[in-house]
Amino acid sequence: MSEEIQVSVRGEGNVTVIDLVGDVTTFAEEAINQAYQSASADGAKNIVFNFRENDYINSAGIAILIGVVTEARKRDQKLLMTGLSAHFQKIFRMVGLTQYADLHPTVTDALASVNGEATT
Amino acid sequence: MAPQSNRVVELRIPSELGYEKIAREAVATVAHRLNFTKEKVEDIKTAISEACTNAIRYGSGSDARMKVVVILTADEDKLDILIKDPGASGTPPINIDIPDIDGMVEGKRRLGGMGLYIIRELVDEAGFVEASDEDEGNQFRMVIYRVEDNKKESSPEAKASGSENGGLA
Repeated sequence: MSEEIQVSVRGEGNVTVIDLVGDVTTFAEEAINQAYQSASADGAKNIVFNFRENDYINSAGIAILIGVVTEARKRDQKLLMTGLSAHFQKIFRMVGLTQYADLHPTVTDALASVNGEATT
Repeated sequence: MAPQSNRVVELRIPSELGYEKIAREAVATVAHRLNFTKEKVEDIKTAISEACTNAIRYGSGSDARMKVVVILTADEDKLDILIKDPGASGTPPINIDIPDIDGMVEGKRRLGGMGLYIIRELVDEAGFVEASDEDEGNQFRMVIYRVEDNKKESSPEAKASGSENGGLA
């Protein structure tokens, strides 16, 4: 029943982007962790989780992301999240995830933030 | 079709993760017909997803032979959602704590346990209710009022009780 998530890793300037397409639920754990480990193995210091707006994210999916936060802090990596709908931005703030990962509308905005550029 | 009072939609979904999406789509249709705002519809979809996920994972041990029953009652002033599960995990939690994300990040707390908190924040009333004699298992009820003022007039203590004992119990 759950839409299988498609996770891919790409470089974008000096950040590593992990694109997430599909449901972010308990079924996404292996794919997300593999992508994160792959990015880390390549030395990523700034990692953007790029969500597709309107995909389904539940608390189990949020727990997976908190697990990534835990690993990223150990590795002194910066986490950013983009593409979230206003609703899921609210949920992420509600549970406190935004203390550990900056939210930006787009990957371009996240990239500008990492590079200290102002966005319009 | 204009919304009419006391319309009831009842779903029986297999107790298997993923099937909560059926309840999610069904409640979205009902909520749209009740003219909830787009953002409130999203709140309701997330709340029912979390409640059904709990019913599947904990209330029936993800045993697909079991069923989770979702009853959506569309009233003139509110949407009432009742979720029944077989109660496989025994007594449901009474307290709904704010997630300790710092503890999770530091590895002091297990990951998860956020569903009930998210639900409580998104709906007007939420909590486990006592099942009738003929029903066994857990029943979790959520209420979302169509007009903010209605909630305040009809249930001023709802949020407060929800924060202490899960509400509605």
